Amino acid sequence: MSILKITGLQKSFGAITAIDGLDLTVEEGEFFALLGPSASGKTTSLRCIAGIEKPDAGQIEFEGSDVVPTPIQGRGMAMVFQAFALYPHLTTEQNLAYPLRERGIEQTEVVRRVAEIAEQLRLGHTLARKPDTLSGGEQQRVAIGRALIGRPKLLLLDEPLTNLDAKLRHDTRAEFKRLHRELGMTILYATPDELEALSMGQRIAILEQGRIRQVGTPDQLYDAPESDLVARRVGSPVINLIRGTAKANATINLPFADISGGNWARTIAGFDVNTEVLLGLRPSQLKLVEGTPGGPNFKATVELLEPLGDVTILDINAAGVEMQMVLPEAKAVGFKVGDSLEIEFDPTTSLLFAADTGTAIS
Amino acid sequence: MRFFRKKQGIGKAGAGWSLFAGVVSLIYFFPVLWIILTAFKTRTDTLSIPPKFIFTPTFDNFIAVFYRSAASSQDAASTGFELYFFNSIFIAGTSVILALIIGTLASYGFSRHPLRGNDTYLFVILTTRMLPPIIAIIPIFLMFRLSGLSGTYIGIILLYTAFNLPFSIWMIKSFFDEISTDVEDAARMDGSRDRGVFFKICLPQVKAGLAATAVFALILTWNEFLFALLLTGTDTRTVPVQMARTLGGEIGVDWGLLAAIVTIFLIPVFAVTYMLQNHLLRGVTFGTVKK
Repeated sequence: MSILKITGLQKSFGAITAIDGLDLTVEEGEFFALLGPSASGKTTSLRCIAGIEKPDAGQIEFEGSDVVPTPIQGRGMAMVFQAFALYPHLTTEQNLAYPLRERGIEQTEVVRRVAEIAEQLRLGHTLARKPDTLSGGEQQRVAIGRALIGRPKLLLLDEPLTNLDAKLRHDTRAEFKRLHRELGMTILYATPDELEALSMGQRIAILEQGRIRQVGTPDQLYDAPESDLVARRVGSPVINLIRGTAKANATINLPFADISGGNWARTIAGFDVNTEVLLGLRPSQLKLVEGTPGGPNFKATVELLEPLGDVTILDINAAGVEMQMVLPEAKAVGFKVGDSLEIEFDPTTSLLFAADTGTAIS
Repeated sequence: MRFFRKKQGIGKAGAGWSLFAGVVSLIYFFPVLWIILTAFKTRTDTLSIPPKFIFTPTFDNFIAVFYRSAASSQDAASTGFELYFFNSIFIAGTSVILALIIGTLASYGFSRHPLRGNDTYLFVILTTRMLPPIIAIIPIFLMFRLSGLSGTYIGIILLYTAFNLPFSIWMIKSFFDEISTDVEDAARMDGSRDRGVFFKICLPQVKAGLAATAVFALILTWNEFLFALLLTGTDTRTVPVQMARTLGGEIGVDWGLLAAIVTIFLIPVFAVTYMLQNHLLRGVTFGTVKK
């Protein structure tokens, strides 16, 4: 059952359109990620859902009824802000208790639930301290605790990891997954970070310029992006998009090779000869030729090596086309800048997009 | 003043710099010290050259502040100083509190619910403080006489409140501007209504700002002379006006008496500033919001 259904949401700030017709459905109990660069409308979307901003147009259905007219205090949601937004003059204990006290919950119950949440989030030692004496991670957990303590039906997280250091980000990702599993709460998570979205989101919406470009599971987005934009957004290192020209017999003419046989072959057969296309090859799809090449192959020179421990990212150049490939450390060892490589790939797993619109062709 | 604080005592600056700061602050404090010393001097000591720093203190000046000297001590009549002292405290205190209350509400409005032309209004408010008071004194004097406010508590309190407001609004607004609106949004999501957001979330965060504003407004009002001279009556006279009246007389200026009045007059401002000092020094902490 869907808990949140947004249709045709619009929001502008003066001349700037923040959200431009956003449609979104979140299922109950789901960990849903909104992935988009800064200024793509993530925060504004969350603020509209929470009731902080009033949308210019559109519906926000929460648990079956439109909440746009409902005041912010009564929506049954909670939010964790990017900058935490803790109450600086209150102690951890008072910060955690605030939502309960404001709702007139009985003191003994407040004490019980503060103790419970402090235990759950390992905040016991900070209860008497004020936010400015806490570490970033502790502040973060207080913010999460304050959001969870009211037992919201929907938890909105606005780039909650942006202000944390790398190690803490990793730990907190795991923490969010654990909390989601334990509490079974619906979570809407806005992030500019692909890794966060892919590792936590059960479904992900790709947001760009105030509109949703695609919604799907991480696998769907990775394997079958509907546009070159989504393909670029999901997957690291970023997909190689190589400009080519459609030729007769469902062949694509790339600067360094002619290929045919992808699952796009049937569609492209109907295209005009010389239509411009973009071939998408994930860096991990490029392999070194060992023995007889099994698929299309080409020569390239190494321009840069980025060893990352177990894998190495290679920037390569094939007939003027810059690409990246990923090799296991064992295979990359010994290569240096300027070396010539023979590379092959399997066209059946490649992706194809129209060069003008960016739409996927399959 | 707390001269020796543990935290400050172990300053990182070298002893030379500490000594330098000590000398400078002594120069600053010297006039105050001079007046306090004079208050305990006899008339001869007061006028002796070179000035005496070691002398036998006398409390005669302080007694003279309250009692007119007479042939015998039984005839000693009150100078009315208690009333003037009370007037100063009552008038300055009330107008500062009023300016703080109105200023806080107004500046919160300017900060959080900006009007079309917000900055223009703020500018206009401040222009009243740009006029030299002497320009405004005659029309105000006439208006006060016409409206019967002359010589009343209400009149002078209203005037001082109006004087303190522009400054209070500007100052407190800058403190409200510093608070993250996210924190207010968070409070609303946590169930607070507007009033709760203001009193429980915003106001506690600008406490330091309110303290600073209060001290500055109090010092300005406390020492105000011109309007007090022309707009207060015998019942509502403030201490600065009374000081002026002790000048002159057949035997010349009684410096010892004047110094005693000033010394007593300094006590309330010293006390308030000392009480609020922690807030003033600490400033506002914005530890939770990274900007």
